[in-house]
Amino acid sequence: MNMIDVKVAAIKQVTPLIKHFTFVKEDGSELPPFSGGSHIVVALDADGRTYRNPYSLMGSPTQTDAYHISVRRQENSRGGSAFMHENVSVGMTLKITHPVNLFTLAKMAHKHILIAGGIGITPFMSQIEDLKRLGVEYELHYAFRSYAQAAFVDELKKACGSSLYCYGDSEGERLDIKGLLSRQPLGTHVYVCGPSPMVVSVIETARDLGWPEHSIHNEQFLSPPVGEPFKVQLAKSEIEVEVPAEMSMLEAIEAAGVKAEYLCRGGVCGRCELGVLEHDGGLEHHDHFLTESEKASCRKIMPCVSRSKGKRLLLDL
Amino acid sequence: MERGYWIKSKPVYTSLVWHEKATSHLVLATGIGGMAVLKLFQQMHPRQPVTVLYARYAQMDADYSETLKKVVPENLHIFKFEEELLAELKQMLPAACMGLRLYVAGSEGFIWDVASAAKPFGVDDAEIMKELTDTLARSVYCVHCKAVTRNVTTNIVPCCGCERMLFVRDHFSRNLGAYMGLMVDAESPGELPAIEEIYP
Repeated sequence: MNMIDVKVAAIKQVTPLIKHFTFVKEDGSELPPFSGGSHIVVALDADGRTYRNPYSLMGSPTQTDAYHISVRRQENSRGGSAFMHENVSVGMTLKITHPVNLFTLAKMAHKHILIAGGIGITPFMSQIEDLKRLGVEYELHYAFRSYAQAAFVDELKKACGSSLYCYGDSEGERLDIKGLLSRQPLGTHVYVCGPSPMVVSVIETARDLGWPEHSIHNEQFLSPPVGEPFKVQLAKSEIEVEVPAEMSMLEAIEAAGVKAEYLCRGGVCGRCELGVLEHDGGLEHHDHFLTESEKASCRKIMPCVSRSKGKRLLLDL
Repeated sequence: MERGYWIKSKPVYTSLVWHEKATSHLVLATGIGGMAVLKLFQQMHPRQPVTVLYARYAQMDADYSETLKKVVPENLHIFKFEEELLAELKQMLPAACMGLRLYVAGSEGFIWDVASAAKPFGVDDAEIMKELTDTLARSVYCVHCKAVTRNVTTNIVPCCGCERMLFVRDHFSRNLGAYMGLMVDAESPGELPAIEEIYP
């Protein structure tokens, strides 16, 4: 994949767990333009392997002199977010992908309800810039554990004014999803990004209330789950690759020198899909892309997040 | 007509079935479309509130309003003309909330009149359940003079605007609620294929 070299121009500790990174081109030229909701994949060489983690761009899409991402240090980090927090310093050069948008605003919508949980606020930071420029009605509902741990509340208050609604769990403030989604005018779209239970709850509540499927949007990058080590055979490359417990199948395939397609690396976009030629059961599908029947058919797998517990897995790669 | 001939834009209509997941239901019908509403009420009644708007006089002059009064328990509004029904719909939509499910039964013209009434409120026509009743008659948009000829039942029709003889294609515009009509004898004026009623 065509990567862009960027220099870390600034790092800011936003909250005890969240750091904000600013990337610029080394020659000071403009970065590629992007739309609100886009993400980039950052490649990190650490411990003799390459982590590739997706992060939402949170700056204004009208400003391409720098890219801004925020990284929350994950409690059980496989290494990517910990590396970003501990090893990345100002002046370092990193490789990133071109921006990709899997969480676009529906331009035909009359009103937009954005629901963020914790660090899930990041894709909305660029989307609100687009919404304000378009002059469309929106509400941003931002739920977090506590005001002390919540990132960007002051910036958002300034940017969104009365369109921002905050919910601090420690203060006993709760977002009433059903109440919120029950009183929206026709033509409203809902977007959610945050922890999995919140995303599931918003999607299911909207569906139960009768919101059409195309008016419900979510982004939920999964980090590749840690599992048992297993072996995978690649039919075209004629090699066998060992997938360690803490590495994803995609990462192991890349480490073996085989070129594989990818975009989001979080089980969302479907780009890394591989055909399963032979298997003896035990496929563990973790992605949000394949339908239940596709998962049951065991003919395809998303190597970015999915694994195997079987002894034999032959892929069409 | 050639076998397997199919233009993607040609709409597909179904039979009305209640959406299981909804906040409220709004059923709109004219003429024989009243039968589709009666069939709908033969199904398990939904838990959510239901409103029915029915216009008695459509092209086929069929009136199901007396039966509907017996079957629809509440929120039944009966109108004499389609235009009155559409005016009421436009009054109702600004206050409607997401989760409102729309059902429409009637002629193709009525179905797409409802769709264009709902469109300014952000309702995509794909969200509207549509049952075609009454007639297969088409609205035909003349690509030459842009006039729309309504209630066309034949394969070839004189344009109501420019009087050109138009061949009625399956190519459908959701925006106009009409099929494309092209001058059929442009190259050899007056030489017309047989005119047949195929959209009774």
